[in-house]
Amino acid sequence: MTSLQSAKEIDDEAADWAARVDGRELDADRDVALQNWLAGDPRRAGAFLRAQAAISFLDRGRALASVDQAIESQRPSRRGLLTGVGGALAAGLAGGAVLLTTRPQRLDTRLGEIRRVPLADGSLVAINTTTALDVTMKPKSRQILLRRGEAWFQVAKDAERPFVVSAGLVRVRAVGTAFSVRRDGDGVDVMVTEGVVETWVEGQAGPRQRLAAGNRIQLVGYTAPVVAESPSEIERSLAWRNGEIALDGESLGDAAGQFNRYNSRQIVIDDADLARERFVGLFRTNEPESFAAAVAATIGATVSEDDKIIRLSRDRLS
Amino acid sequence: MKQSRAEIVAFVGGQILPHEADVRAWLRRSGSYPADIDDIVQETYCRLAALDSIVHIASGRAYFFRTARNIAIEKIRRARIVRIDCVTEIDALNVVDDEPSPERIVAGRRELQRVQHLIEGLPERCRQIFTLRRIHGLSQREVATRLGVTENVVETQSMRGLRLILRALTEASDKDQPPADKSHDLASVRKRDR
Repeated sequence: MTSLQSAKEIDDEAADWAARVDGRELDADRDVALQNWLAGDPRRAGAFLRAQAAISFLDRGRALASVDQAIESQRPSRRGLLTGVGGALAAGLAGGAVLLTTRPQRLDTRLGEIRRVPLADGSLVAINTTTALDVTMKPKSRQILLRRGEAWFQVAKDAERPFVVSAGLVRVRAVGTAFSVRRDGDGVDVMVTEGVVETWVEGQAGPRQRLAAGNRIQLVGYTAPVVAESPSEIERSLAWRNGEIALDGESLGDAAGQFNRYNSRQIVIDDADLARERFVGLFRTNEPESFAAAVAATIGATVSEDDKIIRLSRDRLS
Repeated sequence: MKQSRAEIVAFVGGQILPHEADVRAWLRRSGSYPADIDDIVQETYCRLAALDSIVHIASGRAYFFRTARNIAIEKIRRARIVRIDCVTEIDALNVVDDEPSPERIVAGRRELQRVQHLIEGLPERCRQIFTLRRIHGLSQREVATRLGVTENVVETQSMRGLRLILRALTEASDKDQPPADKSHDLASVRKRDR
């Protein structure tokens, strides 16, 4: 009798199912045996979700593993870093049917804020720190005006209504795909995580550039080649969607710049040599203190902080 | 529109599960019985599993505490015999520590270390397979080839390991974590210039 099962017994069975689904790459929704098991007791759905979540939690360990390899070999491989986090970043479509409106909807974020917002067409936008964008949904088009900052879009498929992001004169067009656009001064940085997008510069002749998943284009002064990046490298650049900064050999100077995008408390590195040191680690965007403490512990720097500044200096004793 | 299963699983793995040990500890402190705690936690996951979308959940930790508290209170109310100490229990459940304290924030960062401790705590064969599968990202078939065993053996060991890890996750998170001042050593390390 299933009603006699304890929570622990259900947990054990759920572990078996989750391991099987994961190992055999089964489609959980379509697996008859699994669905029958789930239907046998309403508590099983919760236990199964928990077991699958545990696997997802373990996959986050890959970031740490690459750090361990770095210790062992001093010649760490970039491959595999944070692919687990990448998996955790796998995004879907957000819910909530909203009436179509042709008035622009303004979405913005404050310093350090990261928001995920479902759009009326079923698309999802993840908005990074200090960003402003306008969303206009029309019967024949979906228009996003990125005024400043950075956003990642998971676009709901709709062949009748192209999805176009404008950043300055740069245009990025998608049908059903996922990509990010970042404005920084004149530069526009486009990264594609799924599907294909087209980019062009308004008012410039020449063919439109097609970017596939794993491609990145940096338009500085509005002309640039398409660069192929590994998917894990792109996922790493987009770790902000989970509120994380993933460092894989960036200089401390670059890393400090990344934290400073999110926090009013700014990291200052006194010493130019120190700023060139390279670093690996996974941090929360809103914890520059953790980053500074980690640098101090592993590189031998000194941290001095007040309300506004976290200062990193060379450890004079080392 | 529904959110994809993969996204919900990733959310639960990253934002809910890491707090389970704390929720259990808090329920214990509030005077819940061990069997009730298992049921309350399971019910919380059930409610999550029933959601079509988790975009409205701002803080997984706060959601977990809030939901567990509601379920615990419902349980008390449903109990046929109204016990005299119920009022105290409900009061105890009101003291919800769902705001991350500085220590808790440190604990969150130690999550990756915890993953490694969990895997290291497995029996040898399981540990080997989990390391190849989860850390190196090999498929079940690749692991079987690498170790010269059948896929069935890998699957059986994966099931065994996952059962053990799910049990370990219910235990206090402090135990498998080093003191705070050493936490940075493993969480991040300098990469030398090549």
